[in-house]
This record gives sequence, structure tokens and C-alpha cells, in this order.
Amino acid sequence: MAGVQYTLNRLVLMIPTFFLVMIIIFLLVRLLPGDPAIAMAGDKASDADIAAIRDKLGLSAPLWTQFWLFLTNTLQGDLGRSILARAPVLDVVLARLPTTLFLTIYAVTLSVLIAGPLAFLAAVNRGKWQDNLIRAVFQVGLSMPVFYIGLLLLTFLAAHLGLFPVGGYGESFVDRLYHLFLPAVTVALYTSAILMRNLRSAIIEVIDAEYVQFARAKGLPNRLILGRHVLKNALISTVTLLGLSIGQLMSGTLVTETVFAVPGLGRSMLEAIFARDYPLIQGLTLTFAVLVSLVFLMTDLFQSWLDPRMRLT
Amino acid sequence: MKAAALAAVLALSTSLTAFPYQSAEAVERGGTLNFARYDGSKLVDPIYADRNPDIWMVGSLFSTLLETDPDSGELVGGLAESYEVAADGKTITLQLRDGLKFSDGSALTGEDVVFSLGRARNPDLGPWSGLLSAISDVTADGRAITITLDNPDPALLSMLATFNTAIVSKAAFDAASGETDQEKSAAIFAAGSPGVGSGPFFLSGFEQGSTMAFSANPHYWKEGEDGKPLPYIDGVNFEVIPDDATRVLKLSAGEVDIAEFIPFSRVKELDADPAINMYLFPSTRIIYSPINTRETRADGSPNPLADKRVRQALNYATHKDALIQLILQGAGKPMSSPVMSSATRLAVDMSPLYGFDLEKAKALIEEAGLEPGTEITLTTLAGSADDATIFAALQQMWQPLGINLVAEQVDGATRGAKNRSGEFDIHTYGWVDDVNDPSQVTGWLGYYPTRKAVGTGWNNAEFNALYEASSTEMDPEKRADQYRQMQEIYAEAAPLLFMYETPFAVAVSGKVDGYIQTPLGNNIFENVSLER
Amino acid sequence: MSDATVSSTQAVVRKPGRLRLALAKPGFMTGIAIIGASVVLALFPGLFAPHDPNFIDYMAVRQPPSWLHPFGTDLLGRDTFSRVIWAYSVNMQMAFLATVFALLIGVVVGALVGYYRGIADLVFGRVVDAIITFPFLVLVIAVVAVLGPGLINMYIAITLVGWVYYARLMRAEVISQKANDYASAGIVMGYSDRRIIFRHLLPNAITPIIVYWMTDMALAILLGSSLGYLGLGAQPPQAEWGVLIAEGRNFITTAWWLSLMPGIAIVLTGLGFSLIGDGLADLLRPRG
Repeated sequence: MAGVQYTLNRLVLMIPTFFLVMIIIFLLVRLLPGDPAIAMAGDKASDADIAAIRDKLGLSAPLWTQFWLFLTNTLQGDLGRSILARAPVLDVVLARLPTTLFLTIYAVTLSVLIAGPLAFLAAVNRGKWQDNLIRAVFQVGLSMPVFYIGLLLLTFLAAHLGLFPVGGYGESFVDRLYHLFLPAVTVALYTSAILMRNLRSAIIEVIDAEYVQFARAKGLPNRLILGRHVLKNALISTVTLLGLSIGQLMSGTLVTETVFAVPGLGRSMLEAIFARDYPLIQGLTLTFAVLVSLVFLMTDLFQSWLDPRMRLT
Repeated sequence: MKAAALAAVLALSTSLTAFPYQSAEAVERGGTLNFARYDGSKLVDPIYADRNPDIWMVGSLFSTLLETDPDSGELVGGLAESYEVAADGKTITLQLRDGLKFSDGSALTGEDVVFSLGRARNPDLGPWSGLLSAISDVTADGRAITITLDNPDPALLSMLATFNTAIVSKAAFDAASGETDQEKSAAIFAAGSPGVGSGPFFLSGFEQGSTMAFSANPHYWKEGEDGKPLPYIDGVNFEVIPDDATRVLKLSAGEVDIAEFIPFSRVKELDADPAINMYLFPSTRIIYSPINTRETRADGSPNPLADKRVRQALNYATHKDALIQLILQGAGKPMSSPVMSSATRLAVDMSPLYGFDLEKAKALIEEAGLEPGTEITLTTLAGSADDATIFAALQQMWQPLGINLVAEQVDGATRGAKNRSGEFDIHTYGWVDDVNDPSQVTGWLGYYPTRKAVGTGWNNAEFNALYEASSTEMDPEKRADQYRQMQEIYAEAAPLLFMYETPFAVAVSGKVDGYIQTPLGNNIFENVSLER
Repeated sequence: MSDATVSSTQAVVRKPGRLRLALAKPGFMTGIAIIGASVVLALFPGLFAPHDPNFIDYMAVRQPPSWLHPFGTDLLGRDTFSRVIWAYSVNMQMAFLATVFALLIGVVVGALVGYYRGIADLVFGRVVDAIITFPFLVLVIAVVAVLGPGLINMYIAITLVGWVYYARLMRAEVISQKANDYASAGIVMGYSDRRIIFRHLLPNAITPIIVYWMTDMALAILLGSSLGYLGLGAQPPQAEWGVLIAEGRNFITTAWWLSLMPGIAIVLTGLGFSLIGDGLADLLRPRG
């Protein structure tokens, strides 16, 4: 019962969060120099044209009115029309959401698959060459800008060796796995490096902890000890970290989707920012916020389930 | 520039084919062309197309009444087989070809022409209506179209060969969902397929920002070498790949047949690839930088660039050949006319236009009494490698003048806003003609009422008067003379940093024949054939 | 932590033996050496760079590595080695200035709300959630675009967004530490809140923060590079690794040195920070 109550509380708390998100993004986009009318009409349009478009887009109205409209429309599920795409924002978001979701889940899965075993290997061989090698390799992955590593992968694995397609995102599920492998690896390199570091030290911490030492002294076989204690404890921090890094992971898709020509939300976001497409920026930000909030909620629930002290009030 | 480097560039440019000519053998039909674009279309509608990725595709879907011959630059028949201008220049009559059909098989009639031109000149709709403001009425009688003008307009025939007057199907618009013309147009395009085209193709697929597909129009009026209707290919698949490096990789991997907007730094490397033909299509694109000529800057401080001599000095101190070498790897030429590319009609060759002369520049600076160490800001496009290079080079070139050039990187929308508000010293800019007539670019760069002379605030009464006179001057010789005078005035006043002209760099797989990008940028697929 | 007799001072006063132990670790020492060298390069780039990093030589464009230009030359004939060296001052500054204020703000706010909870915690939770649910890069790009591009504005933008990560971490640590016996003991003994927070809780809770800081400094360089790539970070002609890599990425196969050399610099620096982070984690980890 407490769990249900807590979940409800968390859901209620998301309301002020979203309100805050909407205020921030609403004000931020309007503070940006330049406006959609200029971006939309193009450089060639006259000042009078710009003013007319501004009126038509409702940008001449007082900020307060605009925000009220944004708020009430959003609550009714109307995110407005994208200026750039000349289509409802919701359509644009829904068209691109599956691709980004697919890429994100794919990348997270790859990260766990890569980081998990290697972190374990590094931790139990702490200080030995295996440990150093694994950490060094991940460090390289962590330190490479996405726009560089992505291109390296494309150049050598895709264009030169022909192992993967250079762009696109495939049709069927398997085809998608194949098409999105390189972008997913690019995103995963970064996430798995962070994950690996954290997992490794979590495992080491547990190995060093007294109860494990104790268990070891009792003569329990190593494998059993590690299996029982280490993994369970490491799981907590891993999930927490994954949850925390989801926002950054989504940021990663901005550049990754551009480099790999994947038509997802991240690329839309960059385009929308550059075109000052207010409704689309707002809609995409809200979408990101909902996604990230859901992940946080799950993380929170998981965390509080394992460690009730962590509950937010 | 030292001789060795120039020689290398010359060697390169001769190895590049300027125009892909159709091979003499029988053309193969069929196949689908895969095309990697730098940016996606949003709405390919003749009257709403306002961005280059839209404008340049209109011609593939919709034909115009007249066309510009790609070789001679002369006006030739399009959907109309002939045209006639009355002696007073106030009536134009055109005769439509017989048996014209849209891609859905319905007849293309005078009614569609009246409807299309009516949309095109409606000032409440698209941004291009001003180009047709001279028109007072359009009527159709069978295949005969009569256009009545309020006043003679020397550019109007060119406008009938321009994308914004392309012919759309009235029936398709009547049937489309939506209240307003805008809504109908967006609905037609968003539906993706099948569009109703009057050009060589019709729209058969569209996914916002990622893909677009054209299919061959079986009823296209133009015939190929084999006596059957064009186009030769079954269709074109477009894929948007914004990253330059990825676009090139996509071509090298054979996943696409054509990649456009190749960075000039990679032209040589791709040209060396035997499987790829590197084309540098002549264009009307000019790269220049507007200079703020107002007496004071936006913050109220005195503007050193208000002095003509300082602007002239900057122009003399800029080594255009070096810029061309650094940015275009030699694949360009200095601007020879101050207001347009040499590919534009009525361009006067004034080269060398402010040829490099550091002594003259220094003398002008001294004459103007410019304080050493004066700070000037160059606003550049963030993330643009070319702009970063331009800045670094100009900073070094202008140092001897005692000018401390600082950079300010902004995105396109901010730069556009700054240009309008005059909050800049100098900023990078570029232009491609949309219209096959010099009036558009000249009005843009110099005629104050259009856009404050490209935001520079330069307001020259003599220039403005000449421009106004030329817009109704039907005598070609007098008009050419007006244009010559305008170019002279403009060059002397130097409201711009005159830089260079660049071609369109397109990398094309060896199995593709017949692809053309016109000087206005239009992508022409109707003559493309694929070797299989 | 199961030992009920842990004294509140134990975690603060470290046995001298442990410091020696940490210093003896090759990984930690390597990290110190790398970052130490980076700091020296950052402070005195002029001493190590053989050429003027901004000198343009039209005749020596994109030359491969040679004795004269050990890392080759770039698109403008500038010496890549000198540019990579000069970039140290920008990138190291970035690592420090983009994170240190976020750290300070985050630690203080996180400790306070973690300790007092209540309404402040509730409000804090919403602010954190609101900021954290934005894609980081989007928020930073937007803030930089509003303030105008440039390093200082970039630091402000990263700090505005970055502090919540420290605060969130700190809050969680403080809550978990507060539940421990020594904190309860402090409360029972009537110590002031300030003393409990800053003398007892903070030193114990700071370990993961410092370790995260090291990662964050490496991340700040990376983020700065991404912004540089988008043209929103360091302004030309200032050399910055991200900008250098971006300039060279069109030439991965033909002029590989352009992007590889700054790439190595980024990786090395990141490695240095993370080695120090790991070493510090060992060094500072309180032992029950």
C-alpha cells in the first residue's frame, strides 16, 4: 500500500515540475535572438511581411496571453502547429518518437551488455592489466566527442569495410537493429563508460565490505559470494545512474542523429532551435521531459523499493 | 598567391567537367535515382516555396509556361509553345501546347493557368507575389492565355519561366481538404502521394525532414532522344543527410548516386575517385559581407565603417584569390560585378573589382583618419568551417590597416535578426538568384526600400532612382545602361565586402548521366539516365 | 558502516599511511602527472608551442607531420601542434570554470535540503526535476544562444544547468549519512546544525561528489567541444580541441592528423581526470 501511495505522490509531484518546465522553455525560446517570423519568411522578406507573419503566428500578443494559450492548449493535448514542418507538432513528434525511443533503448541495452561483464572483470582483477586495459579503452570512448567517434565508425566500419549502412533507419525490426547499430554504439560508448566506472567501483566497494569479507572467511566460494551480494548491490547504483544519465543520453541523440542522418526527435530539436520554431521546440521539450520524468519515476520507485530512506518527500 | 598553388588549381579545374553532356548512344530507360540532400523540403508548392530546398525542387513537379534554355540562357517555350508581347508591353499572349495533361491523366487547361497565376500574384498568399505586381488580369480562351499588365515590366517574361508561376492543378486544390489555400497546399503535400504534377515527376512519398520520393510523370509533355516522353528514370528517392562528411561517405559507399553540396575541401579527393564524377556547376551564388554604413552603430557609438574610404580600404586589403584558395580550394572566382554574379544577365565585368592593393588600402585608412587598433566585429555563422576560415584570414589581412577584427559567432536566425536591426559591423552572407533576371539581386543588395540595401542602411538616391526607372524600362539597351550605372555607383560606395562567386559542387556516381543543377540552383532530373 | 562505535572524526582525519598508500598507486600518480603537465601547458603554452598558433601560411596548407610541424598543418597552414598546445589553456580553463561553481552551489544546496528536508526539499525537488528533465545539451545551447556565444557565457550556461547534478548527489548522500549513527549522535549531543552539516556530514558525503567532479571536468571539456563544434563555445581564432576536431573531421582519411592530435589531447586529459578520480575514491572512501 505504501508503494501505491508513494507512486501517487510522485505522480502528483510531476505536475509542478511540468509547469516549471513549460515556463522555462516558454521564456527561454522567446529570449532567443531572432524569431520564427524572420526564420520562416526568410532573409528576403520585407519588414512588413515579417510583421504580418508575426501577427498571424500570434507573436504580437502579450507574453502572458501567449503563455496562457500555450498552457491551455497543451492541457487539451494541442501542441500547436510546427512553423517549420507546417504540420501539427503532435504529428511531427509522433512520427519521430519511435525512432528515438528505439535508438535510446537500443543504446541502453548495448551499454549494459558491454559495461556489465567488463566492469565485473575489471573489478575482480583490480589493479591488474585486465583492469587497466578495460578502463583505458572505456576512457577513450568517454573522451571522444560524438561528432568525431560517430564519423570514425562510419568511415571505417561502414564506408570502408561495408559492414554497416552509412545512414537510414531500416524498415523491419531486424533491419532497424542493423541500421541503427552504429548510432546506438556511439551513444552507448559514452553511457557504458560511465556505467562501467560506476559498476566497477560499486563492485569493489562491495568486495571490500565486511560482510563479504566475512562470508569469505566463512569459506563460501568466491563465485557464490560475488553472485549473491555484489550483483544485487551493484544493481541499485547501476539503475540509479542509468536513470540519471537518461537526460544526457537524450542529449547525445541530438548530435548522433545528425551525424548518422537518423530522423529522430534529437535532429528535429536542433532544426527547430535553428529555425526558432517555438511550437516545435516547446512540444519536443515537453516530450523529452515526459520521457525523462517517466524514467526518473521508475528509477525512484525502484530505489525507494530497495532503500526506503531515499524517498522524496 | 604563389604560382605553384595556382597551377595546381588550374590543373584541377580543367579535369572537372563543367557540364555533363548526354552521351550520344541510345539512352537507357528505367531505374530509380538515389539523391543525398543537405536539407529537406518542407513544402514544394510554387507559391509557398521560400527556402532553397523547396524552390529548387518545384521545377521537377510543376512546369512553367516558359523555360530558360540551360545552354543559351534564352527564354524558350514550356507549357506554352509560343508567346507574344504587344508593342506597348502591356499585353502578353501565350499559346498552350496541345494535349497537355497532369500526371493523373487529367487535362491541363487554361483554367489551371488562370488559377495558378491567380494564386501566384495574390499578395495575401506567398512571398513572391511582388514579382508579378505588374499583372492586372489573366484570362484564358481555349489554349490562348492573355496576361494584361498595368505597366510594362521587362522582367515579367522571365517570371513566367520562374518556379513561382509554375502550373498546378485546380482540380487537385478544389478536392484537397482544408479551408484556406495554405491549408490545402499543406494537406496535398503532407499526404505525400500521389501528388498531381505538371512537371517531369509527381510527388509519390514524403516524410518530413528525412525522405521524399518523386515518380516519373507518364504524361510529361517533353520528349526524350528516343522520341518517348521524358523522364528516362522511373523516379528519384531523396534522403536528407545534413552532415557533410556523412553525405560524402554515403556516396562513397554506393548507397546514393548523387551527393550535393560537397565541401570544396573535398572536391579534389572525390574527383580522383574513378567511380565518381565531380561536377562544379556554374551558379549565380555570390559570397559577400554586408557592411553597416549607418553613421552610428546600434549601441549609439560612432561607426567607423560609415566612412566610404574605410569600406574601400577593407575591400582593397582583402586578398580574394587567397580566400578562394583557402575556402574553395581554388574552385571559384572573385566577384567581378558588385551586385551580381557574372552568370546573371546585365552583369558588368569590372574585374579586378578592388584587386588586392595593400598600399592603397593603407592610404585610404590614413586619409579617413581611422585610429589604429579600431575594433571591428565580424559576425559569422556558428559551426561553419568556411566562416571560421574567412574570419581567420580577414583578421590577418586587415591587421596591417591597424584594424582589430573580432569574431562573433551566431546561428542563422540570429544573424538574420541582426541584419534586419542593423546590430552588426560586418557579417558573412551569401546569395543565389531565384529569378533569371538581375532585378531581384540588384534590388536586394542596393535598392534601399527593398531591405535597406541588404541591411547595410546604404541609401543612395541616384541608385534608387535608376532602379525604379529600370523596372519599367522595356528598351533592352537603356535598361542595360541603367544597370551599368547602378553597378558603378555601388562599386564605388562599397557597402559590401565584395568576395567571390562559387559554383555548386555536386558529386555524381559514374553510372549517372544527364544531371544538371542550373545557375539558380534548380535540380534538373528530367534528362537523367542510369547505367545498369 | 555497521560499526556503531564509529567516531565522527574518523572519516575526516585520515591516517597519514593512507595518503602514502594512494600516492604509491601508479594509476593515481599517472593521473596527477597528466593533469599536472596539462596545467603547466595551460599556464605557459607559449613556452612549449614552437609556432604562433594563429599564423596563417597559405603556402603550407594541410601538410602532413614533419620535423617543422610535428602534428602537420591545418586548412590555413597553421601549425597543428602549436594549436593543440594553446588549446590547453582554453580547455583546462573550461574543465575548471565550467564545473567549480556548479560544484560549490550544488554541494551547499544539496547539503541544506538534504539535512532540513521539508518544504525546501519539496521545492528543490521540482526545480531539479524540471532542469534535469531537459536534455542537457538543449538547455545549454538555448542559454548560450540567449546570452550570446563565448566562453564566459558557456560557463554560466553549464553552471546554471550543472549544479543540480551535484545537488542531487549531495542531497542523497546527506540523507543517507544523516541516518547514520554518528550524525544522530551529533544531534543528541546538541551540536549546531552548521557544525553537523559542515563538520560531520559534508566531509563524509563529499567523496562521491569529488569523484563525480573529476568525471564532470572531463565531461565539461567534451561538452565545450560539442559547443565549439556548433560554434557556440570558444570563439575563433582561439584554438579549442572540439573546434580543431570539427575542422579536421572532413579529412579523417586524407589529413588524419588534423583531428587525431586534438583527439589524443582530449582523451589524455580525460584519462588524467578519471585516474585522479579513481585514486581519490580510494583515498577518501571512509572505512567503517
